[in-house]
Amino acid sequence: MAKQAAGKDQRVEMRAENLHQGMRLGPLFYVVESQQIGTFAGALHATNPLYQGDSPLAPPTMRLNDYALLIAQHFKGGKGGVHARHRCEFFEPVRAGQAVRVDGTVTGTERKRGKFYFTLEYETRDATDSRLLVRQAITSILINPEGGLV
Amino acid sequence: MNEAKELAVGSHVAGVPYLLDDAAAQAYERGLQQPQRRRPRMNIHTDRAAATRAGFAAPIAAGEQTIAVAMQLVVDTFGERFLHGGGFEVALIKPVFFGDTIAAHARIARAEQGRLELDLWVENQRGAQVLTGTARVRAAQQ
Repeated sequence: MAKQAAGKDQRVEMRAENLHQGMRLGPLFYVVESQQIGTFAGALHATNPLYQGDSPLAPPTMRLNDYALLIAQHFKGGKGGVHARHRCEFFEPVRAGQAVRVDGTVTGTERKRGKFYFTLEYETRDATDSRLLVRQAITSILINPEGGLV
Repeated sequence: MNEAKELAVGSHVAGVPYLLDDAAAQAYERGLQQPQRRRPRMNIHTDRAAATRAGFAAPIAAGEQTIAVAMQLVVDTFGERFLHGGGFEVALIKPVFFGDTIAAHARIARAEQGRLELDLWVENQRGAQVLTGTARVRAAQQ
């Protein structure tokens, strides 16, 4: 993680005051592993042939969780959040063995009925030629330092 | 996997009920371990006190696992074409507690401009909706 490269944790505390519209998170790089596809599909009891064979595809939501990696790369601490909404556009399937790059941007922050909502949009691209694979956005309610939502 | 015959507008499909218990949550967590993620050790998914402070009666399942169950129904119904130009937008409207059995449902709402628009929802074992939303899928080639 880049923010820890110097040995000192340079990440900021995960709290509402530190989340700003336009904040960019990432990039994050990794290679999609065939074994992970099998494990993830197994957890859903999914037997779809798309997830099997020599060149399996990743289930559509397998990398939905990349928002958490982007957040953990930039922020520390915090009590987590409650997933409120999610949207996703699929351009191409993500495949086993594919190297991908993920970048995110905080596109919205809002206090509503005492709760702090934030939206993080993130894109997954092929790391070798930048082809767009998936674009998604999570809206989450941040749990405050006392552990509550309000 | 129903690529051969297009479903008509108004058709309803339902997924196999999915027991979201501790074992299912742990299996799902194992499916996310590469690259490794960090989470607060005591959180609303793992700790009763943390869940109570956030206003829940008990620890709740991660919303993304409910989304995954819903999208599995779409992939099983329409295959790979969901992953080429498809998409979804969902709201998690009620918590799923460990031990709940959830089932995904989809209804073909419209067919226009080479696409199918679906209404989506996930119900728990009491018939309460925990997720609602929409999805779109490229229509089958004629």
